[in-house]
Amino acid sequence: MHNYLLAVAIIIALNAFICLYRAVRGPTIQDRVLGVNIVGTKTLITIVLITYIFSEVHFLDIAMVYALLNFVVTVAVSRYLETEGWREAG
Amino acid sequence: MMARDIIAGILCAVGTFFFILGTTGLLRLPDVFSRLHPSTKCDTLGGCSVLIGLMVHSGFSFDTLKLLLIVAFLLVSSATCGHAIGRSAFVKGIPIWKKGLEREE
Repeated sequence: MHNYLLAVAIIIALNAFICLYRAVRGPTIQDRVLGVNIVGTKTLITIVLITYIFSEVHFLDIAMVYALLNFVVTVAVSRYLETEGWREAG
Repeated sequence: MMARDIIAGILCAVGTFFFILGTTGLLRLPDVFSRLHPSTKCDTLGGCSVLIGLMVHSGFSFDTLKLLLIVAFLLVSSATCGHAIGRSAFVKGIPIWKKGLEREE
């Protein structure tokens, strides 16, 4: 089972690297934000898989914090792009 | 014990399949609005399948509660992120792809 989980983690990490293409050369800024969001989610899943591969229970807390951080970054950046500044959208 | 591992393996395989599908959609589709669709699907469906598979694998313990929290938050946050990015792209007036237009690479 450990080898199987390791294979799943490697496939998802490779997927995250491929998604980095969209973050590097998306034509618009929204494409880049979307690519970073997807890379963040795949990193989150990889961290949770690493928890069970190495039997380190404390990594789950890191995964929870990573999920919160990913959400806040995406919403804040797209809100900033939408309003062109930090004022409230009307 | 054995059946638990088999169920967890099937769920992880389903999640990995949806992750690969989401990556393909993110690379190949023509504009921002259509790229939002497979990416949020791959977040919710693929991620939650892998996490539920790991919940089955770990059994009934305190870690399962943490994994359940991550699943619940992922279900809420992925849809909200997709909506925020799509709204920002629409407000900024990014052109919507139609049938005759070139794909923007």
